[in-house]
Amino acid sequence: MNTQGPLLEVQDLQTHFSTDEGVVKAVDGVDFTIRQGETFCLVGESGCGKSVTAFSILQIVQDPGRIVRGSIHLRQDDGQTLDLAAMDPKGRALRRIRGRDIAMIFQEPMTSLSPVHTVGDQISETLRLHAPIDKLQAREQTMAILTRVGIPRPERHFHAYPFQLSGGMRQRVMIAMALICRPSLLIADEPTTALDVTMQAVILDLIKELQGEMGMSVMLITHNLGVVAEVADTVAVMYLGRIVESADVYSLFREPKHPYTTALLRSIPVIGLTKQERLATIRGMVPHPFNRPHGCTFHPRCDHFMPGVCNRSLPPITHLEGGRTVRCFLYGGADTREREER
Amino acid sequence: MSGMKETAISEKPMDTGQPLLEIKNLKMHFPIQKGVFRRITDYVRAVDGASLAVKRGETFGLVGESGCGKTTLGRCIMRVYRPTAGQILYHEDGRTVDLCALNNEELKPYRRKIRMIFQDPHGSLNPRMTVLDIVGDALRVHGIASGTELEDRVSDLLRRVGLRSEYLRRYPHALSGGERQRIGIARALVLEPALVVCDEPVSALDVSVQAQTLNLLQDLQAEFGLTYLFVAHDLSVVEHLSDRTAVMYVGKLVEFADTKALYVNPRHPYTEALLSAVPIADPRMRERGGRIRLEGDVADPAHPPTGCYFHPRCRYARQRCLEEEPILRDLGGDHGVACHFSEEIELRGAVMVNG
Ligand SMILES: Nc1ncnc2c1ncn2[C@@H]1O[C@H](COP(=O)(O)OP(=O)(O)OP(=O)(O)O)[C@@H](O)[C@H]1O
Ligand SMILES: Nc1ncnc2c1ncn2[C@@H]1O[C@H](COP(=O)(O)OP(=O)(O)OP(=O)(O)O)[C@@H](O)[C@H]1O
Ligand code: SF4
Ligand SMILES: [Mg+2]
Ligand SMILES: [Mg+2]
Repeated sequence: MNTQGPLLEVQDLQTHFSTDEGVVKAVDGVDFTIRQGETFCLVGESGCGKSVTAFSILQIVQDPGRIVRGSIHLRQDDGQTLDLAAMDPKGRALRRIRGRDIAMIFQEPMTSLSPVHTVGDQISETLRLHAPIDKLQAREQTMAILTRVGIPRPERHFHAYPFQLSGGMRQRVMIAMALICRPSLLIADEPTTALDVTMQAVILDLIKELQGEMGMSVMLITHNLGVVAEVADTVAVMYLGRIVESADVYSLFREPKHPYTTALLRSIPVIGLTKQERLATIRGMVPHPFNRPHGCTFHPRCDHFMPGVCNRSLPPITHLEGGRTVRCFLYGGADTREREER
Repeated sequence: MSGMKETAISEKPMDTGQPLLEIKNLKMHFPIQKGVFRRITDYVRAVDGASLAVKRGETFGLVGESGCGKTTLGRCIMRVYRPTAGQILYHEDGRTVDLCALNNEELKPYRRKIRMIFQDPHGSLNPRMTVLDIVGDALRVHGIASGTELEDRVSDLLRRVGLRSEYLRRYPHALSGGERQRIGIARALVLEPALVVCDEPVSALDVSVQAQTLNLLQDLQAEFGLTYLFVAHDLSVVEHLSDRTAVMYVGKLVEFADTKALYVNPRHPYTEALLSAVPIADPRMRERGGRIRLEGDVADPAHPPTGCYFHPRCRYARQRCLEEEPILRDLGGDHGVACHFSEEIELRGAVMVNG
């Protein structure tokens, strides 16, 4: 990939929800960089904070969620950088960035599509909000993008309400809405999960095409490790609010470092390997949200758990060759004797 | 199931067990309304003559293009909709009822036996109810449990789907996508149903929780003899779980077979295209090629093409495909296909990853 300088740099991001029962540290110290033109995939356990990370970037975290720490630097066209985390969530400046510089495809399309407006109106309004064009032009461009995301008969579906569409069609409408302003960063939260595999391939191709055309960066959140293997440049693996490993896609699949990553890759069902009756899982449960384990939060479920080390302090981020990082005492950072891998 | 010709179904009993559910020529057409007078100008043929039979105790996989009518089919079985035409036969203790012919009152006992895990976990959970109420409601409505017993049963089930009982008092908006999906699963299973329509039940889960959930579904099936109609886009999940699998395209079944046979030896060009597009979790396989790009437009269920609905996108289409609609016929060995040229064309199966 001809990736260039950083477009987005997230540092020590922490987003917490204070509830009556306690504080949910949904995002608890996340660092990553997305370079221009690259596809950055964020994977991890369901509930580990991927969507909240994405919402934090756009500052659209739901109440009572708050960004309590960290910075989110976005480089703009003029080379200037802005710290999105420091901006007023309701302010004009941030509203301009949403949709125009950064667009998002949401995990659940129904949450972000208005039930009382036709899909055509919703898409063309998004466009007109950010571009000085008239209704007719907006309509034309909307038709064009609907066609491109594979909506049959766009002239009819332009007038359809979201409830009249299948799950996959709604998803494609969302994708169209996100792409229409040609953002510099597309955040796509499970964009193709609701689609059949041929349509999924079409959408991933389309995103790749637009990336080529306009150097768009993509932050892709997905559980489908097949999709990750097909499209990612860089992969970050999250567990309980933290990134536990990041690497280029080839290294990650060839040689996962963190025990959680290893376990995750082992659970993938593959065609042709079936009737092995049981799929591999990770023992234990995701810990109590208000009462996370001490030290490495993965330690109660880890096959390499080192008593007295892993449960004492949080493993630091260790930098390995090839720009890889991992948060695990197997790779150093322990305050007692260090151990070699395996 | 011995072929989809209607006569064949009623004449010949199952070789391996009687079907629990038989769908015959089911149609569900939604009106398209236009203008201020909401005049009906057309119909969306969401399900347009689908037939299938699900055996007792099996997992029947259903895959197909997004928008081909899988959810609508499931909702017809649940009788969320009143189908336009066709039959949904439920066989039990030597008795057969057509669910399409029942009114709301008569449907009540079946609402307990047939449950659905809904595709959209967000839209299908009442935002004003806590997890406890959402999952436990059915127990209360059917007078099965209340009070602490109800709470115990719900938290036990939550644990089995991998959620702690701390979640009981939470509202859906405070849950992640995958957490919501597991609430939907628990809600469907809480009544110990006989048949569960699983509509994308694990799509929002990471692979390890997904594996745990699929194992759970298998355990419950072994324990209680559950029957699943399993709808999913992830073909490896479907392969892992399903005894038999059917492929749908624009409201109809185009192929069904024993799962292995379908994956190794597909007989319908659309099945071949689907299998070729399955992403493989190995970046070194990226440049393998071989993916079949479907040309042409996605079919519009309000105006399906003539002849074989797949013909505008089919690499093997000939004149006959434009003119004549292929019927779903038995190729022998419980392998059915709706393509004129199945015997003549050579199709590729799934890429097998043997590691
Ligand atoms: N409003 C809220 N109040 C309390 N906790 C919340 C709230 N919203 C989210 N959470 C919690 O924050 C955590 C992270 O949620 P998030 O939606 O980011 O997970 P995710 O990684 O996107 O998971 P999935 O893959 O299942 O979508 C979850 O444990 C969730 O329960
Ligand atoms: N209530 C409705 N009114 C009008 N049309 C509808 C309605 N529900 C579904 N449809 C249409 O019926 C067709 C089938 O939709 P359905 O949701 O059953 O597809 P699906 O196979 O489940 O797709 P997906 O895989 O995307 O979930 C679609 O074209 C959809 O737009
Ligand atoms: S730090 Fe210890 S417990 Fe955590 S993943 Fe590494 S080996 Fe396992
Ligand atoms: Mg999420
Ligand atoms: Mg559906």
